[in-house]
Parts: sequence; C-alpha cells; structure tokens
Amino acid sequence: MTDKGRGDRPADRWAELVDAIARSRDKRAFAELFAYFAPRLKAQLMKRGLAASQAEDLAQEAMIAVWRKALQFRAQDGGVATWIFAIARNLRIDALRREARRGGVPASDAEAQFALDDAPSADARMEEAQSEEQVRRAMRSLPEPQLRVVELSFFEERAHPEIARLLNIPLGTVKSRLRLAMNRLRELLGPNR
Amino acid sequence: MIPSHHPDDSWLLAYAAGSLDLGQHVAIATHLQGCARCRAWTRTMECVGGAGLADAAPADLGADALERTLSRLDGPIARPQPRAAAEGAPEGLPPFARSFALGPWRKLGGSIRTREIVLPEASATRVLLLESKPGASVFAHTHGALEMTCVLSGAFRHAGGRFAQGDFDCAESDDHHEPTIEDGETCLCLVAIQGDLRWRGLLGRLVQPFIRL
Repeated sequence: MTDKGRGDRPADRWAELVDAIARSRDKRAFAELFAYFAPRLKAQLMKRGLAASQAEDLAQEAMIAVWRKALQFRAQDGGVATWIFAIARNLRIDALRREARRGGVPASDAEAQFALDDAPSADARMEEAQSEEQVRRAMRSLPEPQLRVVELSFFEERAHPEIARLLNIPLGTVKSRLRLAMNRLRELLGPNR
Repeated sequence: MIPSHHPDDSWLLAYAAGSLDLGQHVAIATHLQGCARCRAWTRTMECVGGAGLADAAPADLGADALERTLSRLDGPIARPQPRAAAEGAPEGLPPFARSFALGPWRKLGGSIRTREIVLPEASATRVLLLESKPGASVFAHTHGALEMTCVLSGAFRHAGGRFAQGDFDCAESDDHHEPTIEDGETCLCLVAIQGDLRWRGLLGRLVQPFIRL
C-alpha cells in the first residue's frame, strides 16, 4: 500500500504547493492553498464554538503561519492537512489564553507545548506515524455511529455527557462507541498494545 | 525503558485535538516524552484532525480575506523567547515544562514530600511532583475527580499493577488507591489533580492542611 509516485492526489498537490512556498515564496501557490484550506479552517474553528469573525481571523493567522513555516514542513509527519490542522490548533489555544488574560501576552505558547524531544528509542520501529491519507481511509471505514462520536469528541470538543445528550444515547454507549472506534483505528493503523 | 501502562485512547485523542487543560496536557506530555509508541499514536490522532480538515465543508470567507492575508505575509515575526530551565526541574519532564517555576518542597510525614509545578496559564488541573522514599506507603485516599500520575523515576505498586519510569496511571472519582513505593529507589512522580483529594486516615488528616488539596 503505497501512495508514492501519484501526482493526481490532492495531498500530493498540497505538498507541491508548500514546497513551492518554501523554495520560491510563491504567492500563487499560497493563494491556491488558501482557497482550499482557509474556508475549511474557518468552518472547523466555528464548530469548536468560535464566533465567525474570530474563526476567520484565526484561519488567516494560520495561513500566514503556513507561509512563514513552509520550510519546516516535514511530509513524514502526516501530510499538509495535518500540519495545517496542528498550526491552527496551536493558534486557537494561544488565542483562548490571550482572551483569558484579557489581551495580556500568554507566558507560554502552545506550539512549544506540543514539541517533544524525539529521542531515538528502543521501539523506534513503532514511531512511524501513519499518513493522513491512510487515516482518512480508516476513518471512512468506521460505522457511522462510531464516526459521529469521534467527530463530536475531536472536532467539537464535546464532553462525553454532552455527546450522550446530543445523540440521545446513554453515557456508557458514548464511551463504548469511542472505544470501539479507537480499537478499530488501532487495528487498521497502529501497533496493538 | 518502554512503559507498560499508557493513557487511555480518549486522552490521547483529546491531547491531539488540543482539548486538554494545561495541567492535563503536562501529564500526558510527560508520558509521551518517554513513550515512542503513544507519541506515534498521537501523531496518528493529529492525522484524524488533518483528515477532518481536508474533508470539512467550507465556510464562507469575507470577500477580501485573501488580499488581507497576502498583505500580511511578510510582516514582522514575533518569536517566543526560549526560557531557561527552572532549577531542580527533574529529568523526564517534557522540554516546555522544564521552564515552569517550582514551588517549595513541603513534607508530608517522614518519607514523602511534594512541590507544585507552577503553571503559567489558568488550568482546572494542578500539577505536583511527589517524591517518596523506598518502602513508603502513600496514604490511602479517594479521588474527588481525576488524578493522573506519571512516574519519573523509581517505582510503585497498587492493585492495578507495577508502575515504573514512564508509566501512566489515571484514577477517576471513587477509585481507592493505596500505592506502595518499591524498595531500592526513591520514587518521583508527576501528579496532575483535578478536584479535591480526600485523604483518609490519620496521616491524611495531618497532611491535608499543608498542601491545600
């Protein structure tokens, strides 16, 4: 199962665009990436409860960070969409902290807080993360009720009791669906524990 | 050393989604620092975020969104200052947490002491270092809400098994714990606590006022 050597996939196109930004500060490449991702970033941020204007500001901030950090993109960490997701996640956390400080500058930034020492380790073989394309396929193979619970939990940051209320199912069912979904993803994507 | 007790998948999912408060984030990151497997899995969970972004239905942007963004591309970049590690920050903390200030050690009886890791942001979860001498029995206690423990050095045991360097233990409310520190080495743990710890027994009553749990 290899995704290499096929130039017609969106993920490959995005990687080319990031590469063009990194190598030649290509604004047309940026505009193409922006056209796809900025509206989706805004939608994702609104799902997490941000107001439309704040979501749009953060989506723009995230795309500016894409421009500035293009050289740091490492394809082996997943893919362009995953990289942009993480950039936006970190900016969202920073923005919420600034808000909590009423505009004061946060003492710490989320990007640093997701940076860990990647020391070589005995189980390095297991360190290989999956590509986002493989994860996308695996997600699509989840039964709809399980996928829904993962989505509510991951993308909308709903607590388990809230998900139970929204879907009108018992709390135990929320937990078991999430567990089943995670087990299925581990079967498809990861080493078993 | 490869850890044998890991955070539940729902914690790793919440970590990758960016949904944890800072105290919980520190506890999970401390485990990840020593666990390549969970680190890889959280990257896979980030791919869930990427896949969700790639497949999301787009929202409408303001008409001038691209122009406004283009005009800001080459503005000044604010770089965060790297911070020095706090004195006494133990090995095994994730890099970002090594710079967090440390409170004073407080003794909890003869063989146990604790100090707070002072979080720079508001967090519903607090983080402590807990150091126990070999052979100590860490007071029986029940949990008000949630307690995460990550072993930095040494080892302890309770009904759930043996927990050594890198291992992660999570107790929810109503769990009763009576961990025993293994002989031979001082055990240092990072503990993230949400809610009150209700200490039981005489030692607990003595201890409580000191650490304001």
